[in-house]
Amino acid sequence: MSSRKWLDNAFWETSEKQMVNCILELEDDVGRVTRQVMKISKTDVHGNANSDFDEVVSSVSEEVIDKNTEERRARKKAEQEEEKQRELEHVKARKLEDLFNYKLEIFEIPEIKETKNRKLKSKLRRSKNKIEANLFAMMILAEELERKEQSGEV
Amino acid sequence: MEKSKGFVIVASNKPNFYKYAVNLIESIRDFHEDAQICLVTEERFIEDHGRELADKVIFCDSHYRAKLWGMAKSPYDLTMYIDADMECEHEDIANVFDEIKDHDVVFSQLTDDRSYTYSEYYFDTPQGKQSFTLCGGVCLYDMTKPIVREFMWDWWVLTRRQMANEWWPRGYSESLKAWDQFSLWWLTEKEDKYKDLNIGIFDDDLRWNYYNALNWAITRPEGEVILRHYSSGLNKDEDIV
Repeated sequence: MSSRKWLDNAFWETSEKQMVNCILELEDDVGRVTRQVMKISKTDVHGNANSDFDEVVSSVSEEVIDKNTEERRARKKAEQEEEKQRELEHVKARKLEDLFNYKLEIFEIPEIKETKNRKLKSKLRRSKNKIEANLFAMMILAEELERKEQSGEV
Repeated sequence: MEKSKGFVIVASNKPNFYKYAVNLIESIRDFHEDAQICLVTEERFIEDHGRELADKVIFCDSHYRAKLWGMAKSPYDLTMYIDADMECEHEDIANVFDEIKDHDVVFSQLTDDRSYTYSEYYFDTPQGKQSFTLCGGVCLYDMTKPIVREFMWDWWVLTRRQMANEWWPRGYSESLKAWDQFSLWWLTEKEDKYKDLNIGIFDDDLRWNYYNALNWAITRPEGEVILRHYSSGLNKDEDIV
């Protein structure tokens, strides 16, 4: 025997409750079940009441639809927050990789590669941004040039 | 007699790995000045600065997975292997050897929630779908134990053979041949010889192998990162300068 029922996970599409998003489950005479996702307006284009809308609200109940809508809103908000956080972390990670590559370039400068001032080199390696890295690189370079001058290397 | 303790870092195949390795060694020394460090690299890469930095240098062939050969050649009883494209960020590096506890080898884990960072994580087998469980980016192991020495050597040999098309089990995707994670999985999951190998996972393991790409809020270590892995964000083929 065929039947139709509205699933109880319907939610409001609009805050004015003028449209409901719902799933209609149909079973035919031989027991085959199909489901249709539907967005049903309270009225048609002429302003006449829509009997399907009334049927859904009556079957599922306004309270349940309200509850589903609120739960869905909260879930979507949490998902958006997570996505935002993910994107932020992604940008941070890319920035860190970029900084790592930048520092590796600095470490290839002969004076910086060969410096015996491990403290400054360590500060360079641990610098949090390119400006800081540049400053420590300049300090090492200045120190190395001075050392070379004093030792007569330049 | 107390066991010797040291780090093994391998740089082979591409010149940039040598540069990453030098940076890694220096970063370890930033926090652990007296660390014993063995650099395994190709003779064509070595330069004075690297030779001075390392306590020991061993030359290897130009194989993409020479890291496994280098691991097997460790001169230290307790060895901490670290992928060259990592950097040390924390003083707890000095305590790494305490992590061995009663284990033979210690790894970081591959888990479902970290799987998005790996090229291949799930794979089909004749027995159904499987996933990798251990990550070879870092590995702490006790070379005083014969089973560990054999394991390290077998891991290298099996990886070399699978990459050279000399060995491959029926029913497994060819794409897995590129991964030493597969040979690791095979040895630990399929070989009876290693069924009693006592494998541990680092406490708060993400601290010891934090992939920089692990940037989602769900995959944070509890403590501060000790070793950061830059694997995916580096252009390994292009000259650094």
